[in-house]
Amino acid sequence: MSDAALPQPIAPRGIGERMVDALLSGRGIWPAVPAIVVLTLVAVIPFVILLSLGFADIVVSRGEIVSQTLSFQHLTNALTDPLYWSTFQRSLNLALTTTIVCLIFGYPVAYLFLVSGKWTKRLILVLTIAPLLTSGIVRTYAWLVILGGRGVVNSTLMSLGMIDQPLRIMNTHWAVLIGMVQIHLPVMILPLIAVMSRHDKSLVEASENLGASRLGTLRTVILPLSVPGIGTGAALVFALSYTTFVVPQLLGGGNYLNAATMIYEQVVFSLEWSKGSVSALILMVTCLIVLVGIALVTNHFTRWTRGHGA
Amino acid sequence: MMHQPPGSATMVATATSLAPVLRIGAVSKRFGATTVLEDCSLDVAEGEIVTLLGPSGCGKTTLLRCVAGFLDADGGDVRIDGQDMRPVAVNRRPVGVVFQSYALFPHLTVAKNVGYAMRMQGIARAEADRRIAAALSTVSLSEFGDRYPAQLSGGQQQRVAIARVLVMEPRVLLLDEPFNALDAKLRGTMQVELRQLIKRLGLTAIFVTHDQEEALTMSDRIAVMRAGRIEQAAPPGEIFDYPSTAYVADFVGSSNFWTSTAEDGAIALPDGQTRATELSGAVEVMARPHNLKLAPHGDTPWAGRVSFSRMVGPLIEYHVETPNGSVLQVAAMRQDHARPIDDGAPVSIAVVDPAFCAVYPAR
Repeated sequence: MSDAALPQPIAPRGIGERMVDALLSGRGIWPAVPAIVVLTLVAVIPFVILLSLGFADIVVSRGEIVSQTLSFQHLTNALTDPLYWSTFQRSLNLALTTTIVCLIFGYPVAYLFLVSGKWTKRLILVLTIAPLLTSGIVRTYAWLVILGGRGVVNSTLMSLGMIDQPLRIMNTHWAVLIGMVQIHLPVMILPLIAVMSRHDKSLVEASENLGASRLGTLRTVILPLSVPGIGTGAALVFALSYTTFVVPQLLGGGNYLNAATMIYEQVVFSLEWSKGSVSALILMVTCLIVLVGIALVTNHFTRWTRGHGA
Repeated sequence: MMHQPPGSATMVATATSLAPVLRIGAVSKRFGATTVLEDCSLDVAEGEIVTLLGPSGCGKTTLLRCVAGFLDADGGDVRIDGQDMRPVAVNRRPVGVVFQSYALFPHLTVAKNVGYAMRMQGIARAEADRRIAAALSTVSLSEFGDRYPAQLSGGQQQRVAIARVLVMEPRVLLLDEPFNALDAKLRGTMQVELRQLIKRLGLTAIFVTHDQEEALTMSDRIAVMRAGRIEQAAPPGEIFDYPSTAYVADFVGSSNFWTSTAEDGAIALPDGQTRATELSGAVEVMARPHNLKLAPHGDTPWAGRVSFSRMVGPLIEYHVETPNGSVLQVAAMRQDHARPIDDGAPVSIAVVDPAFCAVYPAR
């Protein structure tokens, strides 16, 4: 099997613990130094600058900064603005729906991978990974062709006589959701496959030998054991789709406002960098809250890995 | 665990003692162009432990998987209590499998692992709990019901795997190299314990191994397999003393082979004795190390030189190099205080009992 080539899911625990161990003991920190330097330059420093924009009251006069004072005004404005609430709610809904739909479509694929032979496994892997090799923008433009007024879907339905007028799919919530699911599906499938293939194949045989049907085995053995994969896949898909920009912008036709497109407008069109900064902060914090929630739920269903009583 | 159905006791007793519980009839299996099993037939009687013994790749695990239903045989049939198992789905067969890896469900506690079969059958909680407790007590793990498999030692995990199939009250117990994952010392203890447990419960079992000592310890009967065929199926003593083919003799126990020629119903042994045989022409003669003995140099025409010796418990095993370059193994009881013969010393070799030499057509 070519499982070795799969990315291993990120263990929710373990890595953190080991990093702390390495830092405390002083052993093993040197290999991480280049990464820490790069991350500081490209992530930490820009992040600090971003925060400073959001929490500063900057007075500019004739192109020069006159004064800079600490201020929570932008944050207060954002939290009391209904537009922010509705936009973040839309982002959250879209991301959660995308995550659930990806799980519903992705899990059967991963299960098929588990139970099928060598060649089917390879085919599934190729079909899963191939979309990742093309850019998300290209794939999103492809949906324009498929879902448009004269696109494949509408022309097929009309030639079959099922509809008289083209359905308006483009520039709707549905177009965005379809695009989001297609873009993020591989990110759900790969961790599921990795976790499922990790377990002893004879567990399934043991379950059948003990009288379980296929469905019983899926419910009582495969599903509980794949919870870590579900958690990893859900976290990745959620984080990516909650913060996504390209799909809502292109398939939503410029009037689909989610958090990322709102930040884009604030920064690029309104040039309100402080607003954009605060929006980005809210986006990041809310994203982290959901990710922690997913981790807690996953941990609850994988208590056995830590050997506590049930 | 086994109970007689009510009714005519004598009739039932006669029927069970005559009809085999498991009948494997001419089973064949191919994977693509490779024939893995060819015409394998084996009957297993009530309460009997039969071992499938052979090197890796001989088809023993494939045969076990055909009985369990994980594989469909291409030819032949598997019957349990006379019922054809071919149309019976894997989860409906009255067989319990103990896997090489034990295949314990890591996310379930020991008690839930043991109760798994009953949960699938929908047996009531109280009844299930009672049977779980009984099964855990049978394998002396009553205190461990709340643990997870990863918290147990290898030997304990194996006992959980056994308890898990025992609660199903299977007609046939299938064990696929269950001692492989254990260290050598524990392996010996577990072999004896497992055999005693199976015997106490009166279970019918098939046991797969490549380890001949394990087979000799565990079995009522050993079926030696070679390249998809059953070469000989007989009790351990018979396999050891009267191996029906040179392959069996070679695979089970240590053996010395040499070629000879049979004339007029007899073979001349190198030490001057003769061995009667029904074969004629080129033959191969086999003697176990304990059927050879060393004599002072010149006592017999079979001369050699000690090239190596070592103590094996109460025995001394000598390697004797003969002038034609072959090396014979000779086992001798260790005499009190007597010094073993030095390496390099010239000796003569004699056969203890010519009747215990086996004779096969030349390969």
